[in-house]
Amino acid sequence: MNEEYITIYINDKKYKVKPDQTIMQAADACGYHIPRLCYHPKLSIEGACRVCIVEVEGQRNYVASCAFPVSDQMRIQTNTPQLRRARRDIIELIIDNHPEDCHTCERDGNCELQRLASSVGIRARHFDGPRKQYEIDLSSTSVIRDPDKCILCGRCVRMCSQIQQVHNLTQAHRGFGTVVMPAYNMPMSESVCTKCGQCINVCPTASFLEKNYTQELFQKLNDPDLVKVVQFAPSVRAAIGEAFGIGAGRNMEGELVAALKKLGFDYVFDTQFSADLTIMEEASEFLERVHNNDKLPMITSCSSAWMKCMEQFYPDLIENISTCKSPMSMQGAMAKSYFAGKIDVEPKKILSVAVMCCTAKKYEAARPELEFNGMRGVDIVVTTREIAWMIKSAGIDFVNIQAEGFDNPIGLSSGAGTIFGVTGGVMEAAIRTAYELSTGQTLVDIEVEGVRGLKGIKEGSITMEGQEIRVAVAHGLGNANKLLDIVRKEPDRYHFVEIMGCPGGCIGGGGQPYPGVNSIPMDENMLAARAEALYSSDRKKTIRRSHENPSIQQIYKDFLGRPLSKKSHELLHTHYKKKLPKGIVPEAAKI
Amino acid sequence: MSRRKKETHSYSRLKGIHKVVTPLDIIKKKRAEAVSRIIGKGYLSTKRVYVGMATCEIAAGSDEVMRVFRDAISKGGLTDVYLSQKGCVGRCNLEPTVEIIESGKNPVRYGLITPEKAQNIIDRHLKKGEVITEWVID
Amino acid sequence: MGKEYVVTLCEGPSCIHKGSRRLRQLLEKKLEKHGIAGKVRTFLSGCLGMCAKGPIMVINPGYVIYGGVTVDDVDEIVEQHLIKDNPVARLTVKESHLYNRFFRVFGDAKFFGKQMRIALRNCGIIDPESIEDYLSLRGYEALAKVLTDMTPEDVIEELKKSGLRGRGGAGFPTGLKWQFTRAAESDEKYVICNADEGDPGAFMDRSAIEGDPHTVIEGMAIGAYAIGANKGYMYIRAEYPLAIERIQKAIDDAKKHGILGDNILGSDFSFDVEIKLGAGAFVCGEETALIHSIEGYRGMPRPRPPYPSVKGLFDKPTLINNVETWANIPVVIIDGGDWFSKVGVGKSNGTKVFAVAGRIVNTGLVEVPMGTTLREIIYDICGGIPGNKKFKAVQTGGPSGGCLPEDFLDTSIDYESLAEVGSIMGSGGMIVIDEDSCMVQMAEFFLEFTQSESCGKCTPCREGTKRMLEILTRISKGKGQDGDIEKLERLGHMIQKASLCGLGQSAPNPVLSTLKNFRDEYKEHIYNSKCRAGQCKAMLSYLITDNCIGCGACLRACPVDAITGNKKEKHLINQDICIKCGKCYEVCKFDAVAKS
Repeated sequence: MNEEYITIYINDKKYKVKPDQTIMQAADACGYHIPRLCYHPKLSIEGACRVCIVEVEGQRNYVASCAFPVSDQMRIQTNTPQLRRARRDIIELIIDNHPEDCHTCERDGNCELQRLASSVGIRARHFDGPRKQYEIDLSSTSVIRDPDKCILCGRCVRMCSQIQQVHNLTQAHRGFGTVVMPAYNMPMSESVCTKCGQCINVCPTASFLEKNYTQELFQKLNDPDLVKVVQFAPSVRAAIGEAFGIGAGRNMEGELVAALKKLGFDYVFDTQFSADLTIMEEASEFLERVHNNDKLPMITSCSSAWMKCMEQFYPDLIENISTCKSPMSMQGAMAKSYFAGKIDVEPKKILSVAVMCCTAKKYEAARPELEFNGMRGVDIVVTTREIAWMIKSAGIDFVNIQAEGFDNPIGLSSGAGTIFGVTGGVMEAAIRTAYELSTGQTLVDIEVEGVRGLKGIKEGSITMEGQEIRVAVAHGLGNANKLLDIVRKEPDRYHFVEIMGCPGGCIGGGGQPYPGVNSIPMDENMLAARAEALYSSDRKKTIRRSHENPSIQQIYKDFLGRPLSKKSHELLHTHYKKKLPKGIVPEAAKI
Repeated sequence: MSRRKKETHSYSRLKGIHKVVTPLDIIKKKRAEAVSRIIGKGYLSTKRVYVGMATCEIAAGSDEVMRVFRDAISKGGLTDVYLSQKGCVGRCNLEPTVEIIESGKNPVRYGLITPEKAQNIIDRHLKKGEVITEWVID
Repeated sequence: MGKEYVVTLCEGPSCIHKGSRRLRQLLEKKLEKHGIAGKVRTFLSGCLGMCAKGPIMVINPGYVIYGGVTVDDVDEIVEQHLIKDNPVARLTVKESHLYNRFFRVFGDAKFFGKQMRIALRNCGIIDPESIEDYLSLRGYEALAKVLTDMTPEDVIEELKKSGLRGRGGAGFPTGLKWQFTRAAESDEKYVICNADEGDPGAFMDRSAIEGDPHTVIEGMAIGAYAIGANKGYMYIRAEYPLAIERIQKAIDDAKKHGILGDNILGSDFSFDVEIKLGAGAFVCGEETALIHSIEGYRGMPRPRPPYPSVKGLFDKPTLINNVETWANIPVVIIDGGDWFSKVGVGKSNGTKVFAVAGRIVNTGLVEVPMGTTLREIIYDICGGIPGNKKFKAVQTGGPSGGCLPEDFLDTSIDYESLAEVGSIMGSGGMIVIDEDSCMVQMAEFFLEFTQSESCGKCTPCREGTKRMLEILTRISKGKGQDGDIEKLERLGHMIQKASLCGLGQSAPNPVLSTLKNFRDEYKEHIYNSKCRAGQCKAMLSYLITDNCIGCGACLRACPVDAITGNKKEKHLINQDICIKCGKCYEVCKFDAVAKS
């Protein structure tokens, strides 16, 4: 393919760039970072914020560099005094309709609007006037919505409709009263919101935040009557360093254990253990379905955003869903039954906390179906961001802390449990175990390349007992929809399907640290680095299959009996049902 | 302008081999049929009455005016009159408008016509041929 | 009583050059001489479109057209035709089809004399609900001609020759747009008619559709043929129920006659039109927002390029034109692009429909050839300002346009000239303002409209117009501050240059043009607390003068009991309570209430 270059002039300097790209992309390649707000490479180009405006010779008005294509001999100005003034005025207009409470705002110091205002140099207010006043929506367990802080960049709307395809959010009304909201301005808790928290990830300000439980947690940590037990997800350890200025990709498992101990937790367990437990149960469930010609394909159920999505958009597939709880809920159940028994403490005295990369887990922990013996498996869920703040607030020196190990008996994990956080990880872990359980042989190519990577929908197959088992993996609810539409049309196409609600898998969850100054949400390099932290951890482990985990073998021997036993069903399995929130019309949704 | 016909047209270029009916032929036939239908409805009556019936005219009350004329024909024994509606001619401040065209005479356009004035027009102009100059738009 | 005649002489540039004015003077003298001046009325009209045969004289009743009339012919015309009712055969010119259609609406020659009805040629003549009426006046002949004799390229060539420009406001050359859309390769293409007409007070498109829906459909069909589309959408605002009804009937009737649908008039070309209703958003008149609306999304514009001609409705090449543009198409085809290009002036060919409203004697819809001056429309056609008030300004282009003061009355109406003086042609709204209107309030009214209709997508329009509006409201309430004018201009220029779509880009126009042309009024509001038109209530006070005889009429009329006084004594208005409603001013018979 011949690489033709065209000539453009940026600020009167000549450059050779590739054709078929926008001014912004060309300028980035030439070393000019044009300030931007609503633009995101994975979302549709809208040209909404008008921050990235540039002057192009021959155009009467300023053009949005994120949308305007380059052409040969184009002359572009990015930094004239008039442009600088226009940009400054535009950002001032945004600030003039934004609350003046930076000091008490969750994102003080980590806010894109602050960075933009600083970069264009706003030092006075010329157009100050009345500000919008809406009610903050605290109804949801997971995501809170503060329309006052919204600067109408539209990223959340596009993320929710184009990537996640939940279509919960849209701009409504017109003029100065334009506001982003669920349909009919219903509370988030009543809407089709799946709590995936991707809106939080892309929001430049504090308009979307996770529901904060840090105050409650600090309170409970000081309660001497409680036995404080905590677990954290694989994805948390892969990303927590980023909240402390450490680059993406370092697995800080041991450091986090130590920090949590310093924070006041009595026992620090690993969600990766219960990931192994999930595999035991789920692989067994899968093989049972295959042998009994039961409902296939079986679809994984560890992603809570996906569960909400399924109950409202795909309830016809409920029978396909694995009845297994998610690792977090299994861990909580084990903490308050198996572990409580081991230390001879009343289960009600155990405070079960989970640190998750996910905002939907807060919703999951509160689901009544997951309660057992009148208790919640997990009492409080905090996100990676929340725990990072708690660690900082408690004055713990995370960067220099000495790593420590997990506690037993539910802290040991195999490599299969580690890779749970990456898209394709659950499938790979399940294959490692299902293969051996069914054939009795060890899977030689332990790393199943076909299900790895950031492609939206991945397919693979493996032969077990002479039968070809076809699998599919999707990450992000938009890809999940596509895959499930195929499943509806061709139910025989796959045997086993893994769905993770967030792009990239759990490592890209709604509770992960905000991207740094030089990064953007859904940055593929960042996601790949986090994934690699987990994959390399898997490689370094000697035990890489869930069924080889001695703690797992122990818990079955001592407590559960065998996978899918009555006890397992009581504590580790659940059921789902159709739930149609306001706005879903059964006939129109063909349910 | 070229007289090339595209191959996709449904008639061949080989005129003379068999007669083809072009869209122009069809439309000319339709026009003739339409004219005869209009004449059948009474277009060649001595008097043609047009009442403006656009939204602006109706808002000013022209539907009532139209009813007066209709009733005059159907019940009032008014004959040799072709009644039709027309669109807005642009005389907004003088609506409702009524136009009366008589063969051999200049058309007369009345403005600000109420149902009462319409009755007057029927009695004086249509039946007796008197042009009511006070109401004429000029 | 002898016959009454109306003699119309063409006053188009060509006929004037050949002496039509002199002819009229001579004619009138002869009529006097023969004593029949009372029975014959003479008028001068705008160009009748038969310049080659000029000077043209038309005598009615009978539509007798005389061509090449010289001063020597006048006697014969008067004696033979006007007295003896024998038309002069040697002067008679064959009734050109051009004439027959364009000068039908006469008899009201003062109003119609300077107009040239092309887009509105059938409005007011035919029954809009009768396809027979339309067919009888050469309806759908243009479509038939296109399907019989012309290739799509031929059609586009004709459009380009005509120089027709989009009548929705932007004035983009129509032939060029059709060419681009034709060139875009795709399996599916669409044609859209933009009948959203959101400008407050504008009703050109509504009248066109309610008066002659078939011409729009015919234009769309020709356009579809030219670009290679088979499906069309009529996007019409829901607030026009009668227009919707009539266009639906027109579509149904056309289908019954095989003029719409599959194999139109026996050809290979199929075309169907579907109506899509708007939902009350001004911004959906913007083409990309309109496309989103048809697709089922929120009506918000998107950046261009890519233009709809390449990537439009459902991401396919789409041709979108305004109602008036479509209405012109059959004429261009039948009468030819060459003829069309001769009407108008400079690079603005053809005619334009204007909805003239405001302080004017004859409010109405006028269609004039490009090049007519504002003065001609306002004073000649529409009769000037009522009540002997003084002309102050004319606002063209609706909420996107500018206000032009008296100095600009002789501006020729064409795209370039209007832009040069700081306004725009727009879709054709024209509001006449007299001395009793306040320019600050005028600007505030339009800005309030555009701010409330802003879709909210881009920052300059959503936030900037609101801040401008706040400043304007403050000024009109007497709380203007030093620096407000500079702020308005700074914001206004930024919004013009940085907004995403035409709504935002033109929202500051009324403000900036009134600031440019009526700056003193703004300054008076701010620095002198004075509104010279007496409209801004905050700066108005009503006072009782010494003329007061104490009749008490004002005291009784005051709705808030702000007036006190004894019988036969001078009354007093309490300024703290007074709400400036003006009732006392209205009822006083002794001129004792003064406004200041």
